Amino acid sequence: MGNPDNKAPDKVTDDKDLIYTYNRELFYHFDREKGFTQAVHYQNPDNQVIIKQSWDAAEQRLEEVKQLVLIGKASPVAYYMEKILMEVPMLAAYMEISKWRVKRHMKPGVFKKIKPEILARYAEIFEISVDQLRKPDFIK
Amino acid sequence: MVKLEFEHRQAGHCESGVTRNLLNYHGFRITEPMAFGIGAGLFFSYLPFLKMQHAPTTSFRVWPGQVFDRATKELGVKAAIHTFRNPKDSMDKLNEVLEQGYPVGLQVGTFHLPFFPPEYRMHYNMHNMIVYGHNNGTYFISDTLMENLVEITYEDLVRVRYAKGAFAPQGRMYYPTFVPKDIDIRPAVIKGIRKTANNMVGIPFPLIGAKGIRYLAGRMRKWEKNLGPEKASYYLGQVLRMEEEVGTAGAGFRFIYGAFLEEASTLLNQPWLRELSIEMGDNANKWREFSYLGSRNCKKRGKPEQSYDFLADMLLEIANREEKIFKKLALIK
Repeated sequence: MGNPDNKAPDKVTDDKDLIYTYNRELFYHFDREKGFTQAVHYQNPDNQVIIKQSWDAAEQRLEEVKQLVLIGKASPVAYYMEKILMEVPMLAAYMEISKWRVKRHMKPGVFKKIKPEILARYAEIFEISVDQLRKPDFIK
Repeated sequence: MVKLEFEHRQAGHCESGVTRNLLNYHGFRITEPMAFGIGAGLFFSYLPFLKMQHAPTTSFRVWPGQVFDRATKELGVKAAIHTFRNPKDSMDKLNEVLEQGYPVGLQVGTFHLPFFPPEYRMHYNMHNMIVYGHNNGTYFISDTLMENLVEITYEDLVRVRYAKGAFAPQGRMYYPTFVPKDIDIRPAVIKGIRKTANNMVGIPFPLIGAKGIRYLAGRMRKWEKNLGPEKASYYLGQVLRMEEEVGTAGAGFRFIYGAFLEEASTLLNQPWLRELSIEMGDNANKWREFSYLGSRNCKKRGKPEQSYDFLADMLLEIANREEKIFKKLALIK
């Protein structure tokens, strides 16, 4: 069997129905004949499906919060937080303010009264302008 | 300007790959499975109260940083590990250490890593990579996930070193400073195996080790009824993502660990370890089968193709296998 780490990894032929083909990774394999081996290839199609599931879920959450913003139930902070894939504790850590304040900022009424410097900090984290934060482009 | 002669090698797992590549640089040849095994990297925990990306946290490995810390300590390698409050201090120190001729391991967040595969660019703060030089605000990076060497700007590097949220890296950097000439790695291998065996079967807490796998199986049976098919498939997907994706080399590090046991068997001249390495390899393939069957439930919405009871039964079988393997390993002398 030998140590897989000392052999050059095999390049495995690539599959056609792959979603993600940016970078080949190193994987280990085992079978009783060959023992442990290493190979460099793309993630196999089944695993790519579960990566995609997580992106699809993020997209769906974004769509849901977008609707809430449109009917006036959530502020743009909630929308942009989803857009950069954050959750409240992380956004609060970046903002260096408490979680409950971030949560409050997600209420449209409170959002209107946020101080400009806080708004500017949000905009910086979201990588957008303050105007875009005040009025996301999906709002007419 | 510094550019050290650094040999880039891909690895299955970022931290053990970084540990191996740094030790190799200092002339100490060690394999990735060895670094992982001595660092006692294998683990299992299921923490339903700790949500990550809107689903319970499953982990197949120990706390970030432990593999490097443990492996260097057990091997008698002197290492420096720093974290910094101030980003500028952390970058100054990095430059200084590079100029002294040491490549440096960094813990970083992946969301703003410009060279990272787009499909992995989520807020994951436990990635590790090596800096081996810099020139005019560009840093030269060897990342064991990537096929090739890459680069990053000063600004981006500060950003990823100071990513925030759970497991924030806080500028953590680490590097071996002194590697002894003749290291007898055998005692370190035995201690590493003992530590992992204890983590997996020796701690009386239901959410970790082989017990944790059983606990997850029990919860999984109720997912569809309690959460509905869509959320159940998302929860399942989260387990599979932790198992197969975030740099585990497949099957939640079980393949790497099997390769480690095989190498340990030769090194320690203990043939029974080779038998266990084969059992671990079979067990890893069982995990992979689990993820293969489970992934079908994540493909489309609607009725799951595999019943959650069936998947949970697979997990129980895996838990029994791992319990058996690690109970034997705990007796290593």
